[in-house]
Amino acid sequence: MRSILNVALNDLRVIFRERASIILNLVIIPLVISFAAGGANSSMGSGGDTAVPDLIIDVIDASASAESAAFLDVVRSANENVLLCPLDNTADNLCVLPEGVTTVDETLAGTRLEDQTSLALILIPQDFSETLNAGTARVVYRSNEDASAPGYLLSAVEAAAQQIGGAVEARTIGLQVADDIEFLTFADEADRAAFGDQVYTRAAEIWATNPITVNATAGELVLESAAFNGFSQSFPGIATMYAMFAVFPVMVALIDERRYWTLQRLAMMPIRRSEILGGKLLARFLMGMIQYAIVFAVGLVIGVPLGNQPLATVLIMVSFVFCVTALALMVSTFVKSSQQASGISLFLSLTLAPLGGSWWPLDIVPSWMRMIGHVSPVAWAMDGYSKIIFSNGTLVDVLPMIGVLLGMGAVFFVIGVSRFKFE
Amino acid sequence: MTTSTTMVEVRGLAKQFKAANGTPFFAVKDVDLDIRKGEIYSLLGPNGAGKTTTISMIGGLIAPTRGDAKIGGYSITKQPLDAKRLLGVVPQEIALYPTLTARQNLEFFGRMYGMSGAALKSRVDEVLEFIDLTDKQNERVDKFSGGMKRRVNIGIGLLHKPQLMYMDEPTVGIDPQNRRRILDTVLRMRDEFGMTVLYTSHLMEEVQEISDRVGIMDHGEIMAIGTVGELIQKIGEEDMLIFRVGTQSVSSVQLERLKTVEGVTSVTYEQTAKAANGEGNGSLPIDGRVVARAKRGRQALPDLIGLANADGIEIQSVEVREPDLEAVFLSLTGRALRD
Repeated sequence: MRSILNVALNDLRVIFRERASIILNLVIIPLVISFAAGGANSSMGSGGDTAVPDLIIDVIDASASAESAAFLDVVRSANENVLLCPLDNTADNLCVLPEGVTTVDETLAGTRLEDQTSLALILIPQDFSETLNAGTARVVYRSNEDASAPGYLLSAVEAAAQQIGGAVEARTIGLQVADDIEFLTFADEADRAAFGDQVYTRAAEIWATNPITVNATAGELVLESAAFNGFSQSFPGIATMYAMFAVFPVMVALIDERRYWTLQRLAMMPIRRSEILGGKLLARFLMGMIQYAIVFAVGLVIGVPLGNQPLATVLIMVSFVFCVTALALMVSTFVKSSQQASGISLFLSLTLAPLGGSWWPLDIVPSWMRMIGHVSPVAWAMDGYSKIIFSNGTLVDVLPMIGVLLGMGAVFFVIGVSRFKFE
Repeated sequence: MTTSTTMVEVRGLAKQFKAANGTPFFAVKDVDLDIRKGEIYSLLGPNGAGKTTTISMIGGLIAPTRGDAKIGGYSITKQPLDAKRLLGVVPQEIALYPTLTARQNLEFFGRMYGMSGAALKSRVDEVLEFIDLTDKQNERVDKFSGGMKRRVNIGIGLLHKPQLMYMDEPTVGIDPQNRRRILDTVLRMRDEFGMTVLYTSHLMEEVQEISDRVGIMDHGEIMAIGTVGELIQKIGEEDMLIFRVGTQSVSSVQLERLKTVEGVTSVTYEQTAKAANGEGNGSLPIDGRVVARAKRGRQALPDLIGLANADGIEIQSVEVREPDLEAVFLSLTGRALRD
């Protein structure tokens, strides 16, 4: 273990000898790009400087009830640029409805989804109000297959459903309690309904404002979705890409050390080869973690919403950096020169990052592209961060992503170690 | 069999590689050798003879295809860490971290040998003094001259006071002054510290100067082992007298007459094409030479010159070569060390 640390510390010393390039590559460039990409992503979500909202959601409200209206209010509050159509259409037809059309039916909604005029359709059935009271309400949410609505919209709809459903549940429970109290009687059915409505309104208020209770979790989600900005995407995304930039040079380093013969010299010393390789990989693993720490720390200091699950976030970082370190080791066993390694390192970083959603959310790419993107470890890491940041995910929610990253890393590591040669 | 005086024992050591076309070949073929404690043992051979592969197996860098080597009684294949503890390594390459200082390089490798704290600092100071780089210890190695880098390279091998020092062509690519300094260092290792040195070189002169015993290697095999004197005796201690005769041809009759001079054992005529002079006349000029071997060459020289002149052979220059390892190698392999 001591030898591993000695090798790792020596490698870090070698890396940090080039202070100017370290400050540039580890601090300045990743942060500048995070800010630039964050600004661009924010514009992508809000329509930039134009007044045209991007988030057109068609609504077919067959219920037309107070409950459905309340439900839609919650959805509306998810993001200032959500435009529920045709309900919120403007004089200059921001809903882009055909001329003379003021309502949307399923056929028109289907066409608008298909031609990507709208991002999603919310269909509220006629019996929404009744089924809501019975606890069996259903809302249909349909997104565009080719250019799906951002995932946080679905989360917002789910949160709204929970909020409304929760308030209705509160009313039902309130009425049951009132019925069970013998001395509390209602003058008539209207009086009983008015009591129920009061309970409902109060429950909905509490739900929307109280951030602590379980009910408030949904409220918080809506709030955070509203607070979503491009920096919540760009900081984890660019940090992930630059973590690869920090780790992948291990390929060049291993080849150079073989060329300089320092690797062979170490192999002829009374230490195990696994300790030498372990030290080399540990140094680069730490570089990846340092990169993550810098970008996330700056993000948190300036108030970028990065979720409130530090343990889950750190575990995603650890598993991702392990995965790409193992990938670098494996690839280094296939390349012959440091020039090749340098080229492949750049190619891998610049391919895996956008493919995996480092530059933009995978929510905005076609589903087939999203599927291909998950070949990249970046996609699994970004899924984890998105879950934590945009959906209030917990450690349990991101365990599958961590598992995939560790699994991929284990495969790369075994191949890399079995192929690695010191001489 | 390992004895108390044996530092290295190599038996049947062989290494097979694959050529670029996939054909397997043996770079080292069943080498046996014993190196005694406190001696400088040199492996001499041209580039590609198998010297580096042999010592890389002895040093535990590459695994032998078959056979084994023992250092101080420890098998390099079965007890590699014990064997490596006795070994100091000076590779042919400058195996240093170029952006670190001389001191930082020494300290890192010292830590890898298990040293730490005040003991490490003190040992690094000693080694810096030994390699005469105390005043340059805090300068980056990539700013050093080739000779200074070589000295740091040697210093790292000395850090843990090894019993056996492995030195692979340590004078490659450096100026004569630094080369002299390195050869003196090798001699001091043996004389002052009692170290055993396993030295490889393709330079006959330095091997001849520093070695207690020499193993001559070619095509992956040890051709002969002995002291320099013993090896020279094997070819009979004959001097070689070389008469350059330019483009003249010399007949066998003339050669037979030269052979009659007292002490001369053989006379041959060789022709080699001179390098093209660039005038492009189609044929290359011939450089002819008559080579006579004699027990006491300098005594036979006047008679040989007189007889040649009388016989019409115009001698352009004369060279007398006393027996050396070059001649031994030529005699054993039929080709020169530098071929």
